[in-house]
Amino acid sequence: MEGTLNLVGYGLSAIGPAIATGMIFAAYISGVARQPEARSVLQPIAFLGFALAEALALFGLVLAFVL
Amino acid sequence: MGRGNEEGAMWSIFGYLLSGLIIWGGIGWALDNWLDKNFFLLGGLLLGAGSSLYLTWLRFGRN
Amino acid sequence: MRKFAFAESGEGFVPPSTADFNLPPVFGDNEFTTKPILLVLFSVIVISVFFIISSRKALVVPNKLQFAGESVYAFVRNSIGEEIIGHEFMRFVPFLFTLFTFIITNNIFGIVPLLQFPAMSHVSFPYVLAIFSFIVFHYVGIKKQGLGKYLKGIAFMPGVPKFVYILLTPIEIATFFLVRPLTLSLRLFANMFAGHLLLLVFIMGGDHMLKGVIGLKLIAPFAFAFGIGMTFFEFMVQCLQAYIFTLLTALFIAGALADEH
Repeated sequence: MEGTLNLVGYGLSAIGPAIATGMIFAAYISGVARQPEARSVLQPIAFLGFALAEALALFGLVLAFVL
Repeated sequence: MGRGNEEGAMWSIFGYLLSGLIIWGGIGWALDNWLDKNFFLLGGLLLGAGSSLYLTWLRFGRN
Repeated sequence: MRKFAFAESGEGFVPPSTADFNLPPVFGDNEFTTKPILLVLFSVIVISVFFIISSRKALVVPNKLQFAGESVYAFVRNSIGEEIIGHEFMRFVPFLFTLFTFIITNNIFGIVPLLQFPAMSHVSFPYVLAIFSFIVFHYVGIKKQGLGKYLKGIAFMPGVPKFVYILLTPIEIATFFLVRPLTLSLRLFANMFAGHLLLLVFIMGGDHMLKGVIGLKLIAPFAFAFGIGMTFFEFMVQCLQAYIFTLLTALFIAGALADEH
């Protein structure tokens, strides 16, 4: 099998942000389910949290290519 | 007429930005080709951007 | 184990890498006229012309172009400026608006057919934008609270018992001066880099598969279809990243402006 250790590292590091994204949107969905009027209030917070978690996933992807 | 003045002002600011970049960038690029270095273009672009912003401020920012 | 027939046409495919992001200069030999730089200048022209044309002869009941320009401006001003910064927000709306439109235009150039390169996937452009945000939010904090008091407020957060300062101060200093600008820029860079790379993989892979064995030729349309799907996903990510950059800058400014009592 060919490839570098970068790929293994990236694969392992993608577990964390995937779980984080799932938890953030689970909280958003249950918040909107309890109170549908809160949708537009919660939406910026959900996207902000998602982008912050996604940043770490993408650091992993980029560093797997660059290093 | 106030409305025409505002639109003319917007286009002239846009024109200042573009022309500052093009003229000083062009001078920098010509110097590059003549003297065979490669940083005059960057210096010309920065100088053009700075001077066009200064010209905009001089003309429209002081009251 | 049986060797599959299409495993042999795998040689000759060079997967896209970071070398695909080094584009050659356009005008002669000068390193400063590469495609990303020309795209950035072109984006400035596009933004200026669009907003000038959409706001001249402003009618009370807007027509469609004016409505488009006004909705972008209203989005930045209301939902990013006013909601987050509070009552001094009008000072910062020009900066936030410029950041938002610059980032979103340059990102969208990544999927426009003839210009397919997002300038933000070269790391220097997000670095510069993050440096501007860094200068703005520190300047705002220093101007509001004075230099010594502002730095003391960062290093020694009020309302914490004194012995926790040993743990907290290095973290706070690193956050304010290193981590914030770094993650701000690298988030934008990594999203644009990864998105462009994904599109390159699907499209170049599909193109390579079309030249292969008949088994691969039949799978190639799926690669192209996935490329189309990824383009739409990429559009969403690009708009989201522009919004997040501007939102985080506004949050940092609001944090610097907040009174500590």
